[in-house]
Amino acid sequence: MTFTVRPDADAKLRGQVAFATDLSVPGMLWGALVPAPVARGRIRSIDLGPARAIDGVVAIGPTDLARLLPSATGDAERPVFPTDRIQYHSQPLAAVAAPTRELARRAARAVRVDVEPLPPLEEIEGFDPAHPGPDRPEVIAHVLARHGDLDAAFGSADFVLSETYRTAGVCQVALEPHACIAEIQGDVWHVTTSTQTPFGAREDLASMLGLPEERIVVEGTWVGGAFGGKGAPLVEPYALLLARASGRPVRLALSYREEFQLGRTSLPSVVRIESAVKGGRITGRRVHWRLDAGASLPGRDFTTGYAIGFILGPYRIPAIEMEGYAFRTNKPPLGPHRAPMAPQCVFAEESHMDHLAARLGVDPVAFRRSHVWKEGDFTHLGQKVGPFGLDRCLERAGALATTWRKDAAPNTGVAVGVGFWSTVTGAGGEARLVLSPTELKIIEGEREIGSGSVIRGIVAVAETVLGISRDRVRVDYHDTRSAPFDSGVFGSRTLAALGQAVQKAALVLRDELGKRLSVPADSVQLTEENGELVAVSGRHRESIRSLLTETELAAGGLTSEGRHYGTSGEIDTARVVEGTFYPYTDFTGAAHVAMVKVDPETGAVRVTRYAAFQDAGKVVDLPTAQGSIEGGVAMGLGTALTEETTWAADGHLSNAGLLDYRIPTLGEIPPIEVHFVEGFSGAGPYGAKGLGEPPIIPVPATVSNAIFAASGAAMTELPMTPERVARALKLL
Amino acid sequence: MTASPARLTVNAVPVDLTTVPVGERLLDTVRWRLGLKGTKEGCRTGDCGACTVLIDGRSVLSCLTLTHEFTGAAVTTVEGLEGDPTGARVRAAFEKEGALQCGYCTPGFVVALTSLLKERGAEASAEELAEDLGGNLCRCTGYAAIVRAVRRVHGEMP
Repeated sequence: MTFTVRPDADAKLRGQVAFATDLSVPGMLWGALVPAPVARGRIRSIDLGPARAIDGVVAIGPTDLARLLPSATGDAERPVFPTDRIQYHSQPLAAVAAPTRELARRAARAVRVDVEPLPPLEEIEGFDPAHPGPDRPEVIAHVLARHGDLDAAFGSADFVLSETYRTAGVCQVALEPHACIAEIQGDVWHVTTSTQTPFGAREDLASMLGLPEERIVVEGTWVGGAFGGKGAPLVEPYALLLARASGRPVRLALSYREEFQLGRTSLPSVVRIESAVKGGRITGRRVHWRLDAGASLPGRDFTTGYAIGFILGPYRIPAIEMEGYAFRTNKPPLGPHRAPMAPQCVFAEESHMDHLAARLGVDPVAFRRSHVWKEGDFTHLGQKVGPFGLDRCLERAGALATTWRKDAAPNTGVAVGVGFWSTVTGAGGEARLVLSPTELKIIEGEREIGSGSVIRGIVAVAETVLGISRDRVRVDYHDTRSAPFDSGVFGSRTLAALGQAVQKAALVLRDELGKRLSVPADSVQLTEENGELVAVSGRHRESIRSLLTETELAAGGLTSEGRHYGTSGEIDTARVVEGTFYPYTDFTGAAHVAMVKVDPETGAVRVTRYAAFQDAGKVVDLPTAQGSIEGGVAMGLGTALTEETTWAADGHLSNAGLLDYRIPTLGEIPPIEVHFVEGFSGAGPYGAKGLGEPPIIPVPATVSNAIFAASGAAMTELPMTPERVARALKLL
Repeated sequence: MTASPARLTVNAVPVDLTTVPVGERLLDTVRWRLGLKGTKEGCRTGDCGACTVLIDGRSVLSCLTLTHEFTGAAVTTVEGLEGDPTGARVRAAFEKEGALQCGYCTPGFVVALTSLLKERGAEASAEELAEDLGGNLCRCTGYAAIVRAVRRVHGEMP
């Protein structure tokens, strides 16, 4: 591989990149949150007096909202502080700010909270979801879709395999805790924060605080890892209110314990999956899913209708039914965690596929390939499948698995699992480019979150269109006042969607240069001479300085804009019985191979080799793409084997720390081979497909199948801890 | 908390700290008193390694180290490795292998690996060095590129 150095590498390696946790401003106060002492209960009183009695402390609670917010209480549906009911353990009930961190923590502890505790609602099984009844969690989403003659499929089947899978909650564990600095600047509520979505945060903050969007300014900082957890505002509303109350800038950062307790992430789910098989083919599949949505509000859920489709799998099945329920429990609200709930759904579906193949006595890869979607097929909801490289990935993964099996030691198994995903290219964005005599600037609101999608991905698109060398392209970060609108860095969309806006803006620029040079636009390339950019077309050479007008030079350069507001395919709404389902925008497949060793006495699993075949459309920047796959696989291995949020009976999170919540460490990751399958074009520039989320999706399933191959243990629960494997092996 | 005089040498510059409260963490002293923000604050419980600094050349977790415990010692942060030849080799290897993404854990890795190379680089294998980095967590890279960077810098040892 040729090495392409990330432009942010040097500064990051020298510790010269300032994250939100590193910022301080003169006169700044330190904020701290007052946690709810129970997971469910009624608030009798909150006494801020003892905190306010401490010199220099500012304290705010629910009764202060009316005086601090212009429109009484902001968003009544999701108040910054609850006034009556506690929804989850450690939910912020009040907030304080003080001149030092220590004093702020002391003040937070001094607040006296009196509550009437109630038993937390945590159970999502063991009752009729259509009629949960009293003391059961409320249903916040119900989705149901059907297609084909399910009764005929199940009535005439050779056999039916019915299985139930349970998956645990997992946390993003970005190493940088949530942090921000808020300041009221005249009429403007300004927050500098670590966010994936500056514009989304502005919109949410406006709604929560009851302010018009133009009075809120969000300035993004470098992001120390996000994985979905730094989209919706978390610390920002409290910091802004503390700044408003104190008249000072306020820094609010979560402790790592709070990071676990308050983070919006994946929560437990239960999957029932039943397949009817006749003549070696799946003729019908029925899926029933229950999802713990934590303290989510009804009507705001998208995960249920989106992720449930993955339980049916990317396979041709003539008759299907899928039904999902999301319940409001006493945990923090469900949030997006790298491919929200897809690794969990696919774990159930793909383990089920290997169990079906075993029952049939057929090769699991061949079994998949005889069912897998290809371009032109239709999804379960009747959407036409676009270019889709999954079959090619499967073919190559199957061949590699066959090779690996030849050197498999005793108690070792090799298996394949697949996953698919759709980039969220429907979420739109705009790009602004400024070409000066010496550089090309890409004006952006979002900072790089780590994956490289901003600092390499969209930059590579501009490079390709204009032929400009990478050290002449710079991403110029602006706050929400002056950056062009973009939906944000999430849903694997940055390259695929924002990249299209950048591509369009670069094409506009190239057209303009072509006109000024009187040559065909597609012949124009930018090169450099004596430190100046020069437009070249055949024998024409003209410096950018001489091509720009005086006005343009005075304005810093020639500006061009591009917009991308994508469209999705359409689903056949006749198949939808209830709730909201979503179409896919493109089809991104992946097939993984794992070799695992299972200790027959303890059930301990060690992954010894791993390979990922990724349907990438077009790889735009190889090192970045490879890094995304390696990182996604490692994160998936955590979901597969060790990561689990454990909630105590009283509703508190009992493993809120990195010692007890185990993410993979360096020694636990096997060598990971990364292979890209190109040519099945996605929606992005040059056919690129988003690669942020796809690599995590097949991992738990692939490991599960390798455990099955190694030991015969049919795993139905995540994570696959030694204890669970031992139980499956009947050792316990 | 009572204050007592503390003298540290940070990055070869003597620093006289007369107002550090007893009980202050070295992490907070370097970050908030000295403004050396290259040392990152992650978990503050000694589990992630992002705050790794050197005390008299050996890696320590500055979040679990009380400043007063090491009065008189020489502290080196990532900023102090700017002119260090081993530190420069580590940075070059990480850069070439793409062994960083968000960059939050990165200074901790640079400091820890630099100290490992100086301490045991001559006799330890690349695999052993990589294993000794097990106390530094990274969530973005999946460690694959970090292991490649360790191999590269180990292979290029003078």
